[in-house]
Amino acid sequence: MKLYLAFILLLPLMGGIFNALLGRTLPRRVGEVVACGVIWSAFACAVLAFAGFNGPVRVEFGSWLAAFEFQAPIALYLDQLSLSLTLMITFVCGLIHLYSVGYMQDDPAHARYFALLNIFVFAMLVLVLAENLPLLYLGWEGVGFCSYALIGFWYTEEQNATAGRKAFITTRIGDTAFGIAIVWMYQLSGSVSITHLNTMGTLIPAAVVTTLGLLLLAGASGKSAQLPLSVWLPDAMAGPTPVSAQIHAATMVTAGVYLLARMFPLIGGSGTVRAAIALTGGITAFYAATCACCQRDLKRILAYSTISQIGYMVLGVGAGALTGAAFHLLTHAFFKALLFLGAGCAITALHHRQDIFRMGGLRAKLPAVYWPFLAGALCLAGFPLTGGFFSKDAILAGVAAQGGPLYGGLLLLGLITAFLTSFYTFRMVFVVFHGEQKNPLPPGGGGLGRGGSDNSAANILHPPPHPLPSREGEHLELPKIMTLALVPLALLGLCGGMLNLPSYLGHQGILDGFLGSIPGFGGGEKASQGGEIVLQIVAAILSLTGLGLAWFRYTGSRRAEALAREEAGLPGAGFLLNGWRLDNLYGALIINPFKYVARFFWKQGDEAGIDGALDGLARFIARLGGLPAGWCTGRVATSLFGLAGGVCVVLAYLVWVTLP
Amino acid sequence: MMADLHLLTVLVFFPLAGCLLMLPAWKCPAAARSLALGVMSGELLLALWLYASWQGLAALKPALPGYLLVEDAPWISAFGIRYTLGLDGLSLLMVMLTAFSFCIALAVSWRAVGEKVGLFLALLLAMETGIMGVFLALDLALFYLFWEVMLIPMFFLIGIWGHGRRIYSTVKFFLFTMFGSLLMLLAIIALHLLHARQSGVTTFGLFELIATPLPAGTQLWLFAAFFLAFAIKFPLFPLHTWLPDAHTDAPTAGSVILAGLLLKTGSYGLIRFGYPLFPQAAQTLTPLIYTLAIAGIIYASLVAFAQEDMKRLIAYSSIGHMGYVAIGIAAWEPVALSGSIIQMANHGVTTGALFAMVGMLDERAHTREIGAFGGLWGKIPLWSFFFLIFSMASVGLPGLNNFVGEFLVLAGTFTKAPLAAGLAFVGIVLTLVYMVRLVQEVVFQVERRPLPLADLDRREICVLAVLALLVVWMGVHPAPLLELIHGPVRLLTGGVP
Amino acid sequence: MIVPLEHILLLDGLLFFLGMGGLLAWRANLIMMLVCIEVMLNAVMLAFVGGSARWGSADGQLFAIFIMALTSAEVSLALAMVVYLHRRRKTVDTDQFSEMKG
Repeated sequence: MKLYLAFILLLPLMGGIFNALLGRTLPRRVGEVVACGVIWSAFACAVLAFAGFNGPVRVEFGSWLAAFEFQAPIALYLDQLSLSLTLMITFVCGLIHLYSVGYMQDDPAHARYFALLNIFVFAMLVLVLAENLPLLYLGWEGVGFCSYALIGFWYTEEQNATAGRKAFITTRIGDTAFGIAIVWMYQLSGSVSITHLNTMGTLIPAAVVTTLGLLLLAGASGKSAQLPLSVWLPDAMAGPTPVSAQIHAATMVTAGVYLLARMFPLIGGSGTVRAAIALTGGITAFYAATCACCQRDLKRILAYSTISQIGYMVLGVGAGALTGAAFHLLTHAFFKALLFLGAGCAITALHHRQDIFRMGGLRAKLPAVYWPFLAGALCLAGFPLTGGFFSKDAILAGVAAQGGPLYGGLLLLGLITAFLTSFYTFRMVFVVFHGEQKNPLPPGGGGLGRGGSDNSAANILHPPPHPLPSREGEHLELPKIMTLALVPLALLGLCGGMLNLPSYLGHQGILDGFLGSIPGFGGGEKASQGGEIVLQIVAAILSLTGLGLAWFRYTGSRRAEALAREEAGLPGAGFLLNGWRLDNLYGALIINPFKYVARFFWKQGDEAGIDGALDGLARFIARLGGLPAGWCTGRVATSLFGLAGGVCVVLAYLVWVTLP
Repeated sequence: MMADLHLLTVLVFFPLAGCLLMLPAWKCPAAARSLALGVMSGELLLALWLYASWQGLAALKPALPGYLLVEDAPWISAFGIRYTLGLDGLSLLMVMLTAFSFCIALAVSWRAVGEKVGLFLALLLAMETGIMGVFLALDLALFYLFWEVMLIPMFFLIGIWGHGRRIYSTVKFFLFTMFGSLLMLLAIIALHLLHARQSGVTTFGLFELIATPLPAGTQLWLFAAFFLAFAIKFPLFPLHTWLPDAHTDAPTAGSVILAGLLLKTGSYGLIRFGYPLFPQAAQTLTPLIYTLAIAGIIYASLVAFAQEDMKRLIAYSSIGHMGYVAIGIAAWEPVALSGSIIQMANHGVTTGALFAMVGMLDERAHTREIGAFGGLWGKIPLWSFFFLIFSMASVGLPGLNNFVGEFLVLAGTFTKAPLAAGLAFVGIVLTLVYMVRLVQEVVFQVERRPLPLADLDRREICVLAVLALLVVWMGVHPAPLLELIHGPVRLLTGGVP
Repeated sequence: MIVPLEHILLLDGLLFFLGMGGLLAWRANLIMMLVCIEVMLNAVMLAFVGGSARWGSADGQLFAIFIMALTSAEVSLALAMVVYLHRRRKTVDTDQFSEMKG
């Protein structure tokens, strides 16, 4: 097992280092093969580890931070949760690597791309496999760095680089809270081992547990783009689409959910923390769903839907439905990666155009993209019997089982969100793939953002720096590997429900059985079977209603009218388009004052204040010295008379002293 | 056996001998450079050899508990001044850092310094003697001697080979440090006299003076004098304003040594002399140190964000990073102190590397203005690659070296002063903000001014690759270094050997 | 015959003030100033020797020899500089020099 784990981690790392150091000098094909090969080999090792898995194991490779009682070795912990996530990560990332080979085939910076992608996988695996919190933090920051570098991959565009920076800084704010939580836990228990800390829940005062839980929640909010730190994810779409699929949909953004689930035995003891987690998740899910309804950039729709779906997962954790959250995490990874990759195909085919109002009719032109994309959309919308349907329902059932006004309200919010999700998902599907393509853009990508009237509308186009063959109206031929990579994800998304079928069908779900033995996962009240069936029927109806509404609005004769109206700007659309104007709020509250204070401290504090005072002192002393300097004429005579005078004074003194 | 070799004396005075040997090579830059390289790499090899054999030395049980090597001889007996040098794990780490930093400083100024090469190298070597002495001296008078010796070459280094307002900067640097160290000299003499009055023994020996019982008030005043000297070197807010000027106007080698070593002498002095000599006074002033350190971290990070000169920005980042060292020392707790010491070494490597890189850019573009650059990844990818590594190390990315020190400091400090540690965490975000801004404006985006830039040559790649390997090695496997300082830290914090 | 110390000191004072007066008066010629300084130094030397004889200690004579050695070195250096100055400035009048003005 130790060997498998070592390989799972080391292979992506080695691949990354190989590409970083040698990728530029070797032929492109070598780099691609190495990058994909290491991930699939890691997947193979994960499968072997799965085959040989019989209970949680802790494996230690060596010491890392070791000073007195602070011990954080390089130790991994493989249990059911980390194993299933490892399998998912290596598999989905493997597919995305293959897809990237096609997507990046014209980009000269492939070595940097694959190096970062591989190192990202390494960091993500460290995150899920770490046995102690500092090591988890290593993975946590590592994925943050890769995300930063990959969002700004096409760095010559200022907005791409800025988006990367925003992501890095925003998540770092959350990480700070997480870091404080780590050192606090160390102070309380003298240990940073996750397994050890999870047994400490009862020994730590409740108020401290609550604070710790809130700190961890803040950390998770940063990474998982939950309110109020959600603003970075929509901008993060500036990166290449496979990056969005891998980092900002399938893996990294769910790290916050993983962290909360991992530490649940410790922090779940506090009702306040659970309520706060559930509230954060529920409100974020709703918030992002409303924003997604008005977006016109294909990738931003998906970004907001990711925020919303992670909101569901966080809600599930807050409700104690950890298995449900993990279940949704897995299915979401499949179908959201699928949607992003499908969107990437469509965008590539349309010469890197992302404005959905400029799309349409792609169903006929790109059938190999349409059908998998539709499968993903069905999952996202929670269409009955798809994977997304079962996993979302598992969370809502968990919320329902909690009871009480708070969770009742959150259940209602969750159901409304489900309806919104279905609506915006099919709005996207119908606008992009149905109907006819509307007024193609003039060459050069101008004329954008007419209707949007807001700054984010300008972000719609993210042209890569290398010139594309821009033949208007003609679709680029997609590399075969890009469409092929969609198929396994589509199948997994559709059939993901098999992983954990509801127990009323007579069997315990596979995941329920597999994850049930992890501390914390067995808990959470179970909804009654009848209640669950009712809930599923309601959810199914809501999903179908949303689909129907979208069908009514965006297909057939009403399509043109609806699109024209939306392009002109619906009342309140600007507010939703800009994510409730959180960016403006933060700009006014934090960023501008920050810049002002920084400059003020420099100019007024350092230069005028401290230095000014000291320079003034120096000048004063210099002037003081200048007074007697006037006596120094530089002539010998002055000195001589001075000398003689001095001698006379001394003599006179001596005479005066010796005289009786 | 090894004590008979007078290795510590060799360690201290070998560079000075090299400095004298420089006289015949005065006129011939090539010979002077080879000579300096030989001396400095010999020094580095000696330091590394000591490191390789430290466990064997520890087993030998030398004269002082916890020390690996001690040399002791009477010097000025009238005042009880002795020539006492001692090497423990803490000193050894600093000695290695010194020897290494001087090699880096030599390598980066190999071609950058073209005039008065002999003098330049002689000053470097003289300074190496001074700094080695500071890290090894165990007699307060000897310590003070070395403390002043290391200043003078730096004064000339900035004054002669500097840029910009170099005279202003070097005088400012000199006045700041002199002001502090004169007060420290007074405190040393006062301590000496108090000890002599109480015990009748005239001595400047550290361990004898530690045992002096002092009334609380006296102790407070003496500690304040020591602390002022060290705080100026650190530098702690608001005594820091000499640093940005000195760094900005110093030649690259000067910046590397300033950041890598001179700042460390402040923290080293506080650990070796300040706290052990005046424990109660230090305890009393701990809240003040926390406050200054945290104010410094936040203030310097904010000011760094507003900078327009790359070197100035990194200089301010130094103030922030040294704030963590100060917090760890103030906590005076084993984990935090280990973190502080490791952070001293880490900061020397990372910031030294960043200064070296800015120096390389300056050599090519003849400007350090952030607004002049942009899109360097496309033009000089190797430089950009290394710059990204070092700036990520500087922001404390786990897996690279700074994280180890900062995290241990914060973990240890939290057990003593949760509020201070929590506020210091905020500084980590601020560090990221200004560093990412620097990276973005210099490395990313598009070129803003057409500059004739060539990528790194082989010498520069070698230097930076060594530094980068060190950054990664210290970040991934700091255990040997932590083990090295384990014993000294335990002794300092009141444990038994 | 034993000369009393008071007489010697009287002579000393006389010599010293002669030298000093000359120094102040003869500023137009550097060489004369050097001569006057010599006179002052000799006065001091005489005082040392007198003291030495009075207290029967060798220290004073030692100092006298020391001053002699010092003076010879000083005069040779000073004369060299005077020559140099004369060559550069064509004058030995000290009132013409004021480079040392602060």
